[in-house]
Amino acid sequence: MLSYSFLVNALIGALLSGLSLAIFAPFVTLRKISYMGEALSHIAFAGIALALLTKLPLTLTTLIFVMLIALAIAALARKHKLQESNTISIFLSVSMALGVILISLSRNYSFDLASYLFGNVLLITTGELLGLAILAFLNLAFVLIFYKELFYLTYNAEMSRVFRIRINPVNRIFMLLLAANIVVNLKSAGIILVTAQLILPAVIAFNLASRLPRIIMLSVAVSLVSALLGFYLSFSVNLPTGATIVLCEAFLFFLTLGFKRRY
Amino acid sequence: MIKISQLQYKLSGKAILEDIDLSLAEGEFVAIIGPNGAGKSTLVKLIMGLLELQEGRIEIDGLDQTEWLKNHSFGYLPQHEDYDRNFPASVLELVLMGLAGTLPLGARFKKNHRDQALNALNEIGLGHLASKRIGSLSGGEFQRVLLARAIVGQNRYLILDEPEASLDRPSVESFFALLKKLNSAGRTIITISHDLNILSEYCSFLVCLNRRLHCHNHTELVDAQIIHKTFGDSVRIIEKDY
Repeated sequence: MLSYSFLVNALIGALLSGLSLAIFAPFVTLRKISYMGEALSHIAFAGIALALLTKLPLTLTTLIFVMLIALAIAALARKHKLQESNTISIFLSVSMALGVILISLSRNYSFDLASYLFGNVLLITTGELLGLAILAFLNLAFVLIFYKELFYLTYNAEMSRVFRIRINPVNRIFMLLLAANIVVNLKSAGIILVTAQLILPAVIAFNLASRLPRIIMLSVAVSLVSALLGFYLSFSVNLPTGATIVLCEAFLFFLTLGFKRRY
Repeated sequence: MIKISQLQYKLSGKAILEDIDLSLAEGEFVAIIGPNGAGKSTLVKLIMGLLELQEGRIEIDGLDQTEWLKNHSFGYLPQHEDYDRNFPASVLELVLMGLAGTLPLGARFKKNHRDQALNALNEIGLGHLASKRIGSLSGGEFQRVLLARAIVGQNRYLILDEPEASLDRPSVESFFALLKKLNSAGRTIITISHDLNILSEYCSFLVCLNRRLHCHNHTELVDAQIIHKTFGDSVRIIEKDY
């Protein structure tokens, strides 16, 4: 199976995608902003529509659009003391509405909604693989360098400010990287897999470990194992790759529930 | 010294604090008392810079509050801390939070920081819980761990918002005895409390607040009339001869 170069690319893509999202998954889940992944991927819809209308480069336009919205969500929630969930919902609905209007204005009826929902890892190009590798490296470096700030930001942002922990710049980078992860992974993984990859590896790791560094490592391991297993199964039984990876993770989640640690 | 001048604070047009002029000297054990909604928590949040000043001025150690906060912080024990019992943090990691702001961005904790955190835990008698998960603690234990976090940074000013709220009576006594010890070691304690009995025993300076200041003076100079004026009809004063 690996004698085909496009399959090798697809496998590397699935592994890199799993790695980069799994590093962030524990923080996203603990901050209870797992819906943020889903929301940002829907917000990307407006970015895609904007790129189609203006004929600007698709990925770059979407990336800038989603990053700006992610920063606006963080700033609005902080400045006006709004709940992040409500702020995200506002931007989600507005972006979806904007996306539909922009798509209709661009008269682009060839826009493939299914590929946006489910992605197709087999279509991944070498350039996109490079983008995924750079992003995975940036995620890893970010978490390693700013672990202390991320840890306390995730625990309690208000108390972090009391103790003068510099969480604001770290939160901004976190939001930007999260947005970048979603946009870059959208083509290969689609909304559904991106959302699953931001939740499932972390909740499986929570079942098995009680310290955050170990949880992050387990989250990455679970994600890589699921990507390998899902990839193998999808080609053995001829199933869609992304969906099979998600099912593998769901299976691991139920399998590890019995090991769930109680504090 | 903390000097507050002409402080006013409004929320949705409603006055929460009016005409507050107050000086809190270093080394005092200050108690802020007043009925619910009197503006006590707002006052301490304004002192700590957690709320933006609308009118008035706060000076700390002769510096404008904003200037002072660039290089200092307060030790703070909130009345209630929002946290997820399943959060994967140990007691030691929670106490280290009190030191995290003293380290540069991205710097890691070193052995001396862990030793400091462990000393703070030992000081409150919970050193044996250092490696436990925070979710496994009782309410009283958690409150004491938060006190360890508040004192670990050796901040000169320690602010507490109703520390007795989640403690039973014997624990309140020992908690205030511990605060007194910290006060004797040179820390300025500012606590919000409703427990007048405890306060009369441990505090040296009383601030009676009900939107406006009704009194700020040393405890022996505060009489029943002032307490009554602060709390209105909600308090019944029983005088005892000892």
